[in-house]
Amino acid sequence: MKNRSKLSLFILVFLSISVLFPLIEMLIRVDWSDFSSLIKSISFQEALTNSIYIGFVATIISVLIAYFLAYTLNRTNIKHRAILKMLITIPMLIPSISHGLGLINLFGTNGIISKIIGFNIIGPSGIIIGSILYSFPVAFLMIDDGFKYIDNSLYASAKILGLNKWQTFKKVTFCYLKKPIFSAIFAVFTMIFTDYGVPLAVGGKFVTLPVFLYKEVIGLLNYSTGTIVGLFLLIPAFISFIFDNFSKDYSNGDFEGNEYNITENKIRDIIFKIYTYLIIIIVFVIIGSFVYYAIIDNPSLNPVLSLKHFEYVSSNDIVKFIFNSLFIAISASILGTIITYFTAYVTARVKGILPKIIHILTILSLTIPGMVLGLSYTIGFSGTFIYNTFMILILVNIIHFIASPYLMAYNAMQKVNPNYEIIAKTCNISLFKIIKDVIIPSTKTTIREMFAYFFVNSMVTISAVAFLFNTKTMPLSLLINNYEGNMMLGEAAIISLIILLFNILLKGIIYLINRKEDKKKYEAII
Amino acid sequence: MVNLEVKNLTKKYNNKTVLNNISFEVKNGEFLSILGPSGCGKTTLLKILIGIETATSGTIIKDNKNITNLDASKRGMGIVFQNYALFPNMTALENVSYALNIKLKDRKKAKENSLKMLEMINMTEHLNKYPHELSGGQQQRVAIARTLVLNPDIILFDEAMSALDADNRLHLRRELKEIQKKLKTTMIYITHDQEEAFSLSDRVMILNNGNIEQIDKPNIVFNKPASEYVKNFVTNHLIEKVNSIEKCTGIDL
Repeated sequence: MKNRSKLSLFILVFLSISVLFPLIEMLIRVDWSDFSSLIKSISFQEALTNSIYIGFVATIISVLIAYFLAYTLNRTNIKHRAILKMLITIPMLIPSISHGLGLINLFGTNGIISKIIGFNIIGPSGIIIGSILYSFPVAFLMIDDGFKYIDNSLYASAKILGLNKWQTFKKVTFCYLKKPIFSAIFAVFTMIFTDYGVPLAVGGKFVTLPVFLYKEVIGLLNYSTGTIVGLFLLIPAFISFIFDNFSKDYSNGDFEGNEYNITENKIRDIIFKIYTYLIIIIVFVIIGSFVYYAIIDNPSLNPVLSLKHFEYVSSNDIVKFIFNSLFIAISASILGTIITYFTAYVTARVKGILPKIIHILTILSLTIPGMVLGLSYTIGFSGTFIYNTFMILILVNIIHFIASPYLMAYNAMQKVNPNYEIIAKTCNISLFKIIKDVIIPSTKTTIREMFAYFFVNSMVTISAVAFLFNTKTMPLSLLINNYEGNMMLGEAAIISLIILLFNILLKGIIYLINRKEDKKKYEAII
Repeated sequence: MVNLEVKNLTKKYNNKTVLNNISFEVKNGEFLSILGPSGCGKTTLLKILIGIETATSGTIIKDNKNITNLDASKRGMGIVFQNYALFPNMTALENVSYALNIKLKDRKKAKENSLKMLEMINMTEHLNKYPHELSGGQQQRVAIARTLVLNPDIILFDEAMSALDADNRLHLRRELKEIQKKLKTTMIYITHDQEEAFSLSDRVMILNNGNIEQIDKPNIVFNKPASEYVKNFVTNHLIEKVNSIEKCTGIDL
């Protein structure tokens, strides 16, 4: 018991320093007299309306695309589901700004396609398309998961009751999917509302709220105004948090897993197959544009095959940036996974008030947008020994991405037999030994998933780290920002490809380990 | 000889009395069942005995030593759970030898003892299987062997067979009885199943609302119930049995 209380206390102190302290510091230093002038300023009002408009339109389209993809993979006779699922989620492996970059390559002022069709999409339409591109895989994963938790025996009941297709959809499918769909809507809206990568790349003169914040802080060093704007960014995430934690969920998973009986319907299968392949082709066209821009010099006027961009990138100390990114991502993954794992251990398996506080604090971190977190770190930790070091970048990434891996670990931990600690106690085995020998081995797959989540997100993030890097610690993702800003599209494309490559490599390694492990599958029953 | 003595044990949760000033003794090598409906306090009693919960007041004495505040690891007690709680990443043999390895610091000896124990409980065929490859009954055998191998003075069973089907339960019950005769380990068996309690035990304790209604040999509880509650408890069960036999056979008993 003593060990467990010590662990809880340690985690609480850690979270207080790394989450609460900077946020409070940031809020204390706000000059609230700026508030009314900011609210009244036309540029702010415009940015806010723009963000809301973009958020609504892009979210609706993104979730619709995702729903039909999830539908295809769960309800039609399509082959190679696992591979398709992997391909659909590839956009998650590159920074949001790269999606904007891809659009510039194709549809920008001098884009490959815009030259043919005669117009470009710089501005709101570009932001909407870019936002959809990088957010639909997230919505897809959430809805796809929702499909897995539908009690399929209810379809037989519906049939017996004589319900028609529409009624069945309303009473069974939608009843179960309501929560995941709404969660996806909130999550995607929050993502788009708080992202500055896409609008910075393809927005042109069309300014959204995150870009407004970015310019206030980076351009004008106006931290106080930045913070107030940040509070606006927090609103959708906060609403989404309340929805997720207080809405009713029908899918408790307490039923026997009945396979859904997919009916024969050739036409439906073909339509959705074409649809799915089309989406995947679009994803690959974006990535293809990186390859094209990387190897072609002067693609808009006089395209010639050239290694110029590679030469420039490598002469510009690329190895250092790769090292920075990998160092940050790997450190954040290792430390983040360890901290998150023990946090989940405490909240899922120790009783008392302390673990409850820790639980709330950890999932609340989900509501803090990366930019706001980054800003709070800039303000809260300036002058401390971690400022201007790798440490602050690693820490900010851990906190920025802690909520999802935490929930993964929390769920896994709750499934682990609650009596192991008692057995250990009566057998005189220490708590840490039983965690090491039994609990960690029986949650290995989850641990790998957590690691991958931290890694991939640390590689692609530009929001939380934007205010915290210096020339020595700058990660790859921010280099895209730089190159893109200087219209060096080929160089930016190469960096995007490098990030994608490392993420695919890591995902591949984890996939292979999991498959090897599957052969001696004992995790099924705990 | 008295093995375990419980004196005036009381447990309260926020003013709700779960165990109300109970006292009893368990003799060396005795098989005692604690019988009662859910919510009667039997699981709380077990947790206090094993040392993962503290009593509000009262003392527990084991072999003339006050263990009321002794750490669970030093009580010389073992526990077997309803859900087995086997380590999923270890084979049957590894499950049994894991704690013994740590205790003896002698792998060879630990393995030897574990093998013996698994043989006694008829699991020799399944040594290298993982828990998910074993049936419920087999898993519970491994769990029992895992506890026995550490040679505890007292073993507590928490509804240890309720997850098994009727056939398996009958088998395992018989085996457990034999093991107990052979090893003469004191066993305290918590259950809500009357048949199990009466067929296994030297004595049965009937617990109701945190009070001991009666603690006696099975036939005495049966023939001379100490209270109205015990009488109803026992007869209701009998009536149910008779009813089900009548239903099955169509014979009017």
